[in-house]
Amino acid sequence: MSSLSVSNLHKTNEIAVSVRDLSLTYSTTIDRRPTFKVRAKALMRGKKQTRVVNALRNVNLDVEYGHVLGVIGANGAGKSSLMRCIAGILPPTQGRIEVYGSVSTLLALGVGFNPSMSGRDNVYLGGLAAGMTRDEINGHFDEIASFSELGDAIDAPMRTYSSGMYARLAFSVAATVRPDILIIDEALSTGDAKFKEKSLNRVKELRSDDRALILVSHAMQTLRETCNDVVWLDKGKVISRGEPNKVIDAYQEFLQVGKSAAIDEDV
Amino acid sequence: MSTPLQVYEPFKAGLPKLGKYWKSLWSRRTFIAEHSKSELREQHYDSVFGQMWLVINPLLLSGVYFILIVIIGGKTDTTRYVHLTGTLFLFYLVANSLSSGVKSVTSGQRLILNTAFPRIMLPLSSVVIAMFKFLPTIVVFMVIKAVVGSPFTIQMLWALPILFITTLLALGLAIAISCINVYFRDISSFLPYMTRTLLYLSPILYEASTLKPGLLFLEYVNPLFPILDSWSSALVHGQNPEMSSMLAGLGWATGIFFLGTYFFLSREREFAVRL
Repeated sequence: MSSLSVSNLHKTNEIAVSVRDLSLTYSTTIDRRPTFKVRAKALMRGKKQTRVVNALRNVNLDVEYGHVLGVIGANGAGKSSLMRCIAGILPPTQGRIEVYGSVSTLLALGVGFNPSMSGRDNVYLGGLAAGMTRDEINGHFDEIASFSELGDAIDAPMRTYSSGMYARLAFSVAATVRPDILIIDEALSTGDAKFKEKSLNRVKELRSDDRALILVSHAMQTLRETCNDVVWLDKGKVISRGEPNKVIDAYQEFLQVGKSAAIDEDV
Repeated sequence: MSTPLQVYEPFKAGLPKLGKYWKSLWSRRTFIAEHSKSELREQHYDSVFGQMWLVINPLLLSGVYFILIVIIGGKTDTTRYVHLTGTLFLFYLVANSLSSGVKSVTSGQRLILNTAFPRIMLPLSSVVIAMFKFLPTIVVFMVIKAVVGSPFTIQMLWALPILFITTLLALGLAIAISCINVYFRDISSFLPYMTRTLLYLSPILYEASTLKPGLLFLEYVNPLFPILDSWSSALVHGQNPEMSSMLAGLGWATGIFFLGTYFFLSREREFAVRL
């Protein structure tokens, strides 16, 4: 595991995101049988049965401008929680996060979309939800429509779309936003193989700009090709960080899956 | 350094920087309008009449009360009918804000968990939807007033400040109840009974002047009482509303708005872990 404390020596304008001693803990209720009797008993006792989840434990991390950081880890490792903390969505329980620049998140596709509206209307809804202005969306509308490859279906209600069409439009809208720092969480597994390649190329284009990218993915080959650095999380802790091939190989060995097509490509 | 710095530290109850918060909210005003419109359109998406329901609803509502008061009740004094429809329409502005606002945060889970934005936008959007529903009822009310021969006077312009006060109250209530629902989900199940009680305790089915002296305390404990009384004076009777009622309504609305907003803003950073 690479310690990132030395990065305090970096000049501040080189650092895009600085995460220090970040811990995130929250509790969830665990009423297995939400029956009247269980509820009444809990009410009498004056408390609910809860389970404490340590989603992140003492995470230290720096992301620099011009770099792409890949984040890997098994399900429940804390990848999405970390992204949400950096985006200011989840407040840390402990520690401090400094973000130098505007952040745009692609944590889930189609946030802000309304299935009853047409694809065209949803381009505006999704764009506005992502923080774009109407003029900016107007200026990029043709680009978004063309990238999504929806053709005339752009004017049909989104509830008539296949899941692939839905995801394509959602990715097209999200990839139009040009923030200083872009966080993409498992959104590259969109559509068919051809669209996946287009999405990946778009991410590579974004990388060429002077911005910081954080990519969360299970598509190891994509991360090997795209990232400068990869960080491996497990049970909320940073296990390792460093050169992509080295970290991914160690992760795959840990998972005992070896190098297979199934783990290299997102399936 | 030219890039803005954003620092995230452990949650502490307290207000965010209000100037920055307001700027962020203002920059999303177009999204609030579009989000509200799309929610409204979705409510009538599968219906034959679609958005025409915004006018059909108040027409049917006034029709039901016409049958009740004029036909079955045999009242020839149409003022009571005009009073009932006018105050009921304004009451629904508050009731719709509450019913739509109560789940605005909890049902906005997907947005909240995936995007950073001022969360107050969600109950605010509920009030915008309620306002979209209210505006056509004003037209229906004016037609009813004209048909029954109720006088149109310059004093009716008092309706504008009264509408402002009502909107402030609706906003405060929607903001407060949406926040309460994050911590106590049962409030949404209690709400229909609360609004129904509020309906009966407000001068809608009766006029404030006809209230028994023993029940006059309602004027002081029900925030909607002075507002609806002033609304009826201005729009139904075409008279100046009593200044004491206007001030009482403004006091209630301002108090509830600031309390609700303070409660919401001081807790909103915690919503994502509560949903």
